[in-house]
Amino acid sequence: MQIDISVENELAVAVISGEIDGKTAPQAQSELLPAMGSCGKIVIEMSGVTYLSSAGLRTLLLLYRQAVAKNGKIALVGLSEEIKDVMSMTGFLKFFAVENTLEDGKRSLN
Amino acid sequence: MGTKQGMDFTFSDTIAGYVVRFDRGAKSFVLKTSDDREFEAFLTPTTYARMTQNLDEGYIDCTGRIGELLSPGQLVYAYGVFYPDNGKFEVKSMIFPGDSPEKYRHEEQDWWIRQVKSIADSYLSWQFDYPNQEIDYRNYRTMLHLAGAKKGDYLQETDTISRMVYGMASAYLMTGEERFLEAAEKGTQYLRDHMRFYDPDDDLIYWYHGVQVQGDREQKLLTSEFGDDYDSIPAYEQIYALAGPTQTFRITGDPKIRYDIDKTLELFEKYYKDNERGGYFSHIDPIMLDPRSETLDKGNNRAKKNWNSVGDHAPAYLINLYLATGEKEHLDFLIETADTIAKYFPDYEHSPFVQEKFHEDWSHDQTWGWQQNRGVVGHNLKIAWNLTRVMNAVPKEEYEALARKIAELMPDAGGDRQRGGWYDVVERTLQPGETQYRYVWHDRKAWWQQEQGILAYMIMKGCFGDDVYLKHARESAAFYNAHFLDHDDGAVYFNCLANGLPYLLGTERFKGSHSMSAYHSTELCYLSAVYTNLLITNQPMDFYFKPKPGGFKDNILRVAPDLLPAGRVKLTKVEIDGKPYKDFDADAMTVKLPVSDTDLKVKVTITPVEA
Repeated sequence: MQIDISVENELAVAVISGEIDGKTAPQAQSELLPAMGSCGKIVIEMSGVTYLSSAGLRTLLLLYRQAVAKNGKIALVGLSEEIKDVMSMTGFLKFFAVENTLEDGKRSLN
Repeated sequence: MGTKQGMDFTFSDTIAGYVVRFDRGAKSFVLKTSDDREFEAFLTPTTYARMTQNLDEGYIDCTGRIGELLSPGQLVYAYGVFYPDNGKFEVKSMIFPGDSPEKYRHEEQDWWIRQVKSIADSYLSWQFDYPNQEIDYRNYRTMLHLAGAKKGDYLQETDTISRMVYGMASAYLMTGEERFLEAAEKGTQYLRDHMRFYDPDDDLIYWYHGVQVQGDREQKLLTSEFGDDYDSIPAYEQIYALAGPTQTFRITGDPKIRYDIDKTLELFEKYYKDNERGGYFSHIDPIMLDPRSETLDKGNNRAKKNWNSVGDHAPAYLINLYLATGEKEHLDFLIETADTIAKYFPDYEHSPFVQEKFHEDWSHDQTWGWQQNRGVVGHNLKIAWNLTRVMNAVPKEEYEALARKIAELMPDAGGDRQRGGWYDVVERTLQPGETQYRYVWHDRKAWWQQEQGILAYMIMKGCFGDDVYLKHARESAAFYNAHFLDHDDGAVYFNCLANGLPYLLGTERFKGSHSMSAYHSTELCYLSAVYTNLLITNQPMDFYFKPKPGGFKDNILRVAPDLLPAGRVKLTKVEIDGKPYKDFDADAMTVKLPVSDTDLKVKVTITPVEA
């Protein structure tokens, strides 16, 4: 798994590729959590994510809770149909802004 | 009544005791406490008395009968003021638990049945404004004020809903009133829809801590919000998530509930269980589901085991699950938890209280949070109660020995022999010069700990027959019914002061809260009715079920009301949809259900087998 984080106009954008599974989920959490900053907002581009395990789902859920605590929001961009299905099945897809493009993701948080 | 030098002020208190003699001329009587100490008390022109009354029952004044009621052997709670100038204890009010020495109102056949109905109706009204509105769990809130009003928060905790569901299912088992089953089934469905996390990788289920709701929007809380467990998934919450659905499953056999239970058991097996050293870990981290994760260090919860994670399976859901299924796998799990408790919890070289917290190698953890080297009185009593229950399924000497040991030690170590009732959290050891185990924060008495004492001694009287157990059962139940029932607003108080007066400050003012809801109070009603009627006073009792088509395996409905001593009770009558039904096994307490494409209403009568 690879994570590249940049900040554009004070908004964090993370591009993740590879597999988010039991081995990599703790790393994802430790990098994404501070990137949200005090505003609790982050755009996560996931079109390169080939697999999201339940540990990855739980990581997203914990990020979501931190975002809500800061009155922020998380946008997920480029989710594969498979990942969308899994998130929908576990009942929390609706907690995130789900967008097709990076620009839409950024817009949804402004 | 004596006084130490310097203690020369008036104070009020309660003396609980049995009348030794009454002197009409002197208007005084002598009471002997539970531990055989005698005190003289004096009536005054303003002394008034009442009889213990049930919920939804009017005040029963017996001031005019005080002289008649003060007969030798009568238990009474005398609340009064001690005056040091003449050394007299002047009684202001009295509560009689019955109107003659051997009559306790809580032993009336329908006492606990009426009580559970009242409690369940209170919670239906408070949570859903039922019957004015429909039962809708979107309106459920965890926190309720003393009189049942919602506190204004938006929290729906999984465990609290599950406890409410347990209460409703128990009320249905005892009364057959449809509204209670409706509430149990709707609550179970709500838990499934909103609180359940299905893990597609492991094909198992775990339960969210809860949700925050605002209108149609809900925020899921995966990890615990409580300080003790913050940012972890405690075993305790997963265990109690099953309490309500499992009690409902006993009634309906709903395969959807069975699926959720099975998948949660897999969670315990896969992530909480310590396959090397035995027992179950108390916490796992939310990402890796690892009990040894460094992230658990912040709550001092890394690689720990405790009473809740090891012992609470049995009372919360596992005994009820085994009653419903009769499956060996569930019995084996029960035995495993009971064996673990019997092996690791006793610590009688150091304390009359069991050790409750452990490191993974079972060395004692006496550094954790509020517990330190402290004992919870109710946990000790809960062990005695549940080991006795499990013993009825699998007789083992070590279960009986530990239950008896606890029953022998607790009255002096954790009970109030002066006023009645059970204390809360105490220091496990005495310091030099002390004879009384110190109360950690206060000498108040919590409703749930009274329950443990009542049920422990009731079932032990029923199983072992010792009269001393009946004495403690009666004293415990009499204290609870005299002091904990809220006759003004409904249901029961959270805490009372040592003297029995309700304590109504802070969070202890609530009727909701994460531990209360309708759980312990209804569990007490259900099992007190079972133990009293079927094991002590030998009176038959009816129970109600409503199996779904194809719900129970092989169409066999198991109706044993609890794990009771073999051969002591029988199934003597069955009605299905109001008509007599004959296809049942009286000794096994099973009903072979007819094939049906609709839910069946089954009423059964369980009758004690006379010795």
